[in-house]
Amino acid sequence: MKKISAGRIITYVLLAIGGFIMVFPFIWMLISSLKTWAECGSMPPTWWPHNPTLENYIYAFKTAPFLKYFRNSVIVTIVCTAATMFNTILCAFTFSRLKFPGRDIIFSLMVSLMMIPYEMLIITNYTTIVKMGLYDTLVALIIPFTSSIFYTYILRNFFLSIPDSLYYSARVDGASDWQYLWEVMVPIAKPSLVTIGLLDALACWNSFMWSILVVGSVDNRTLPFGLFAFTDQAGVRFERLMAGSSIVVIPVIILFLFCRKQIVTGVSKGGMKG
Amino acid sequence: MKVTIKNLTKKFASRDKNGEPVIAVNNLTAEFESGKLIALLGPSGCGKSTMLNMLSGILPVTSGKIYFDDTDVTDLTPDKREVGLVFQNYALYPHMTVLQNICFPLKIKKVPKDERIARAKKIARMVHIDEYLNRLPKELSGGQQQRVAIARALVKNPKLLLLDEPLSNLDAKLRLEMREEIRRIQRESGVTTVFVTHDQEEATSISDYIVLMKLGVMQQFSATRDIYNNPANLFVADFIGNPTINQLHGEYTSSGFKPDGTDEIIPIKADVAEGTRTILAARAESVTFNKGENGISAKVNDMYSSGKDWLLNIDIGNNNLRGYCDADYELIPDEIIKVQFKDKGVFLFDEKSGERYC
Repeated sequence: MKKISAGRIITYVLLAIGGFIMVFPFIWMLISSLKTWAECGSMPPTWWPHNPTLENYIYAFKTAPFLKYFRNSVIVTIVCTAATMFNTILCAFTFSRLKFPGRDIIFSLMVSLMMIPYEMLIITNYTTIVKMGLYDTLVALIIPFTSSIFYTYILRNFFLSIPDSLYYSARVDGASDWQYLWEVMVPIAKPSLVTIGLLDALACWNSFMWSILVVGSVDNRTLPFGLFAFTDQAGVRFERLMAGSSIVVIPVIILFLFCRKQIVTGVSKGGMKG
Repeated sequence: MKVTIKNLTKKFASRDKNGEPVIAVNNLTAEFESGKLIALLGPSGCGKSTMLNMLSGILPVTSGKIYFDDTDVTDLTPDKREVGLVFQNYALYPHMTVLQNICFPLKIKKVPKDERIARAKKIARMVHIDEYLNRLPKELSGGQQQRVAIARALVKNPKLLLLDEPLSNLDAKLRLEMREEIRRIQRESGVTTVFVTHDQEEATSISDYIVLMKLGVMQQFSATRDIYNNPANLFVADFIGNPTINQLHGEYTSSGFKPDGTDEIIPIKADVAEGTRTILAARAESVTFNKGENGISAKVNDMYSSGKDWLLNIDIGNNNLRGYCDADYELIPDEIIKVQFKDKGVFLFDEKSGERYC
């Protein structure tokens, strides 16, 4: 049998405590969402609901159209992420592989745009969207977030690290630039792309301030906005609020569980490359 | 396929230390016969890789023309040239298995899947990597990776196969094995092949023809046997052959060549003015020794082994040279012996220009 050292046991105990502290709020949210109003407010608090009930979820879905919010969130997240990925890949390829006059200067200017804080752009973006007549539409939630200089910068640096000989090899093998990009570069960059995609999807999913600004009607709300509005509708009924929060958070947790490996390897690989 | 190169020149935008634009290949004209193995040989910086890249279309030419058979391909991009290229680092696609790597050129050509797998497997058998079809490149040794790269280059039946320093990333033993493999594969496929190397032994051992280059200028283009027996100038004589050719500095007189530091004469006839400073170059196997009276006097220094052969190191006047001797030669340091030169393997060059006189 393998011998387990005392140091190892201590490490695992400490890790378990740390992990529990991290996860506890989520567990408490889930537990509370299953409790009745009376039990939720009872002192001392109970660990496991005596009469687990889905009533709060039913209430949440009845009071606020969470399914609609959910659908909106999914649409916005998928379209935004897909568009961002596509633009990022093309842009990174352009600035790493193609040669044209002023390439590096243009890229430096683009990178310098990262220094403008997001809050400063909000007003301009808002005016633009309103003038385009897109106020209170899903399109307004998507359009400003279909590209990212930061991701382009990361991906360009990764593309630059792919040796030239692969490009020439592919060209001699008969591939066009376009085929080389999709057949060789993108598959090689897959770990980076998965990381970028997940980070972007999370940012879209959680986007709050912008949706509050450009969306008014219930029909076009996304989950974070919907939840914010729900806090008023639910009053101080914590168990109902917790049910609403669970509806918002659970899809993200599921996504993470499925893509955990890619997120971790992607981040550590990017880190090692510097 | 026959390859014709006419007045090919490549200038780079970068400048050398005299402020002149770098001319990597200078006005090179040659014709490569169909089905032959041609070596582009020269020291580093001689423009041999630039030549190869122009043949593949990776580098645009500055001036001159390249023809494949009678088709002018000078302005065609690499994907239109139907050449196969093997890089020094093999440049295998790291995310694809061996089979996918070999299939890639066919996939781009939209060859049906069944056919491309069949063709890839056939080529894989030819280069002896059919056992590793499902491995990733990183799971292969250097020699295996190179076989995959060759298979990938050959699978689309290229008109011309280009190899850029194909053996330099391999260890010494594998290098010997792989160069014979390259020769075998080239013979079996019958494809015209051009390969770049800086190793004269590699070039002479497997090629049919050698293009020897120096600073962008072609020094000699001839059959491999001729380049050793009949060098065009001193650079070629010096570059080709192991051990390096002996060089004696001296003066040409009416009766022959007088090495510096002695009054004796080596009889040789050439069409040169008397008193011209010249270099007598002699292959090690063209130098013979005797302890009798015939020949020019020399002082014995040492003898040493180069594997199965023994070399005797001697001085003639101020010049040092080496020649093959018998293994049982009785070495007496500082002994004065006589040296004779055979007709074959002895050349006379101008000391300054390296131009050959005889």
